[in-house]
Amino acid sequence: MGANKSSLAKPSWLQALLSLLVPGLGQAVSGAVSRGVYIFLSVVTLSGLAVFAAAQRPRYPDYALSFRAYLYFLLESAALLLFLLALYWLARRYAMKTEFARNVAAPAFVAVTVVVLFLAAPQMLETFLSAAQLKKLYGMTSLLTAFVVAAIWAWNVYDAAWVRGKDFAPSMGNFYMLVIVGVLVLGTRIVQINPAKAIREYKDTGVILGQIAWPWRVAFDYSRSELVAIAKVQAPCPPGSNPPPVQQPKEGRPWVSVTPTCGELSKRDAEGHLTYGTLLTIRGGGFKPNKKVHILWANPLGNTFTPRGFGPTDIQVGPDGTFTTKLYIPDVTIPSVAKGPQIHELRVVQRGAAKFTGRLSKDMKLALEAMLESIMMGLMATAFGIVLSVPLSFLAARNLMSTLHTTSQGFVGGVIGLVGGAYLGKLAGDYLAPLVGGLEKAPILTFFIYFTLVLVLAIVAYRLLSRALDSIAERLPALVSFGVGIAGMALIGAVVGYELGLGYAHGILGITRGPEGALQAAPHTAMLGAVLGAFLGGLWAWRLGVHGTIPIGRMIYAATRLILNIGRSIEPLIWAIMGVIWVGPGPFAGFIALTIHSVAALGKLYSEAIESIDPGPIEALQATGASRLQTIVYAVIPQVMPPFTAFTLYRWDINVRMSTIIGLVGGGGIGFLLIQWIHQFQYEQAGLAVWLITITVATLDFISASIREKMV
Amino acid sequence: MLVVEHLTKVYEDGTVALKDVSFTVDDGEFLVIIGLSGSGKSTLLRCINRLIEPTEGRILWNGVDITQASEAEMRRIRREIGMIFQHFNLVERSSVLTNVLTGRLGYLPSWWSLINYFPEREKERAMAALERVGIADKAHNRADALSGGQKQRVGIARALMQEPKMILADEPVASLDPVLAHSILGYLETLNQEQGITVLCSLHYLDLVQRYATKVIGLRDGRLVYEGTGEQIRNITDEEFKQVYGQEAQRLSVGG
Repeated sequence: MGANKSSLAKPSWLQALLSLLVPGLGQAVSGAVSRGVYIFLSVVTLSGLAVFAAAQRPRYPDYALSFRAYLYFLLESAALLLFLLALYWLARRYAMKTEFARNVAAPAFVAVTVVVLFLAAPQMLETFLSAAQLKKLYGMTSLLTAFVVAAIWAWNVYDAAWVRGKDFAPSMGNFYMLVIVGVLVLGTRIVQINPAKAIREYKDTGVILGQIAWPWRVAFDYSRSELVAIAKVQAPCPPGSNPPPVQQPKEGRPWVSVTPTCGELSKRDAEGHLTYGTLLTIRGGGFKPNKKVHILWANPLGNTFTPRGFGPTDIQVGPDGTFTTKLYIPDVTIPSVAKGPQIHELRVVQRGAAKFTGRLSKDMKLALEAMLESIMMGLMATAFGIVLSVPLSFLAARNLMSTLHTTSQGFVGGVIGLVGGAYLGKLAGDYLAPLVGGLEKAPILTFFIYFTLVLVLAIVAYRLLSRALDSIAERLPALVSFGVGIAGMALIGAVVGYELGLGYAHGILGITRGPEGALQAAPHTAMLGAVLGAFLGGLWAWRLGVHGTIPIGRMIYAATRLILNIGRSIEPLIWAIMGVIWVGPGPFAGFIALTIHSVAALGKLYSEAIESIDPGPIEALQATGASRLQTIVYAVIPQVMPPFTAFTLYRWDINVRMSTIIGLVGGGGIGFLLIQWIHQFQYEQAGLAVWLITITVATLDFISASIREKMV
Repeated sequence: MLVVEHLTKVYEDGTVALKDVSFTVDDGEFLVIIGLSGSGKSTLLRCINRLIEPTEGRILWNGVDITQASEAEMRRIRREIGMIFQHFNLVERSSVLTNVLTGRLGYLPSWWSLINYFPEREKERAMAALERVGIADKAHNRADALSGGQKQRVGIARALMQEPKMILADEPVASLDPVLAHSILGYLETLNQEQGITVLCSLHYLDLVQRYATKVIGLRDGRLVYEGTGEQIRNITDEEFKQVYGQEAQRLSVGG
């Protein structure tokens, strides 16, 4: 609440009153209309956000605070603030005579205001909230926003008293500061920023975070030396059966001997009560002395488990390498098809220390392969991005395109040439493709042949026809060539209108009438579009007159810019989802996504680089009689090389970075592996992926920075 | 012979840069255009090779109407008309030789530029042009490594590559010091006298005009307000001077 008022001005009570009723109204009345609008919009927006965040959020019905309650609270706060402001103003005016007192007054006022408001807030809330509601009110953030809005309201009343239209407008610094505070407080609430929760719940994630942070255990294979001895046991033990023989000790080899070798299984009834089976005496030897052995049980199917609760399972071996222990035969689920006595195995295992082999684990190899896939994906997307975006960027450069004009005859020739040439290219492709094996046997070569033929023939036909029609039109009598122009433009308009009509039926009518209705309406809308298009095309040519020109360059510029903007506004991850639908999950889908986004982003950056070049050399080359192509090669390209290099490196950086996470949505590469491991709770493996991504991105950062330093 | 008839240029924003300008330049003339900044000198020169599209009027170059020429015809006309600029308009990042070679582009097939191909004889021609302006030793330097005077000589060499019948010079010495100014204008005078190349040159300093011009026209606010021979400009009266440069103008220097 700065007091930088003009010594000439006197406060205007009427404006202050108006602003008290409607924020900003006083300012608007005294001539500062935009100021008033800012204030009004700020109060409305912040209030709306606050009510949305604090009261009307369906996700948190418990915290409901009605709009009416908010408004009451707001008004009470504002009244309180105004009262304090008035006190402050009176004190400054009549009580504080010394410089010191005035200097202290402002911070003291702010401090007192904050304290009073915090003390008063619960009292004020009690007037319109029940105790139960008050208890449910979430934190202080919603109250703080109301305070801020109230402060803006109060400031606005004060401001309205002093503003004199354009003649005297005090600084709006306080206003902006309050708005920023309000937005930040609301932001905290809406984003649900909660440091206490982060601290309280950290310990749950500690183990997982640790695994992700240091996952190298699973990056390598380890070998363990293992001493194993096996003894066979028969269960159950009906009379007359033929139990396996008792094992005898063997010299120099681990052995285990079980007596008896035939017995009954332990049993667990429906209540979980356990009846022990036969007690086995186990003796063993030939193991490494003074180390532990581990006892395992294998059922007839060969599934092993540790028989916990039936006797000791980890036994210390004596100095002579022997041990003795006892174990009840555990309860084992026997497959229902098995009948009669079954042979089980008792296994004694002594494990040596894990030995580092230096071999990479299967997971690590998988991660490295996926990482390579990611890097190549980023690289290929950048390469294709450059190739496709350079020509586009020339079409999207205003300074190159705005000089391009054509007559209506030339335009007609150009469009017919472009479409006809492309069609001829396709026909030629149809003829040539089988010679190299077609799409099935040689997909890339075939595609390349089609692409080149269509592009080249379209451009050649475009140039030939647009020039031919242009020069023919010049030689014909003016009226005839005028007629040709009108007819041609009408034809183009009809075709475009026809397509738009179809699109309207399927796109717009499809929503209101459903697919059936759209199909029914399509012929009519298409015909209507054709007639309308023909009329508009003809009208345009008519308006251009005999010698008028069409700013074809600006039209291409606008269209290219629009396409680039759309391509860039859609995030690579969204493009990747479309790519997955298009070509299925895998790196190709990710490549498509990154390429589309790269073309759009590079196209814009490149075209802006072209727009900012020095026009002098272009002028000089045009003056020598150089063609458009020559001018671009010798005047434009040398000038745009440094920015192009910088932008390309920057994009390469982004692409490799993006390629590591594009797999999250099925785009292949290491992201695909990462999200799988996370879903399988294999956090150490996920940690490997995270580490590889980090190392790659950091390395790339370093490389591109040093290349940029050298080249630009 | 160049004949300019009723030439008018109105820019898109409504500025009238040239208003009904007519004059004739005989072959081999050294025509100097004088006038204040913004009087239409640059626009006039650029209308002659249609870097700027004239609004009205005709420009006849050896009987051909430049204003009606098609794109292909314009290319052939432009390659006979060299142009040099106040700010040299070199491609700074390219070599001096490449800059000179670009002067020949009007004679070469477009697609050669895609593979950056210049025939050997054109490179020899470029070296010869550089030799004539005395900086053949700089041929392989980058253009941005040259001084202002050297750059303008590259500009002249580039124009020479066109084997021009006429040279348009848009304040060619305005960015140079007086000694360099004489050296550059000296080259133009030599070309004018020895090869009979017509020169149309806009200049600021009256002493330079008096030294080099064989014919002078004066523009003021886009209108032709003075026309005289070299003899007449050397004896320009105060009244004529004020007609071109305005009532408040003072004649500062005589000689130079």
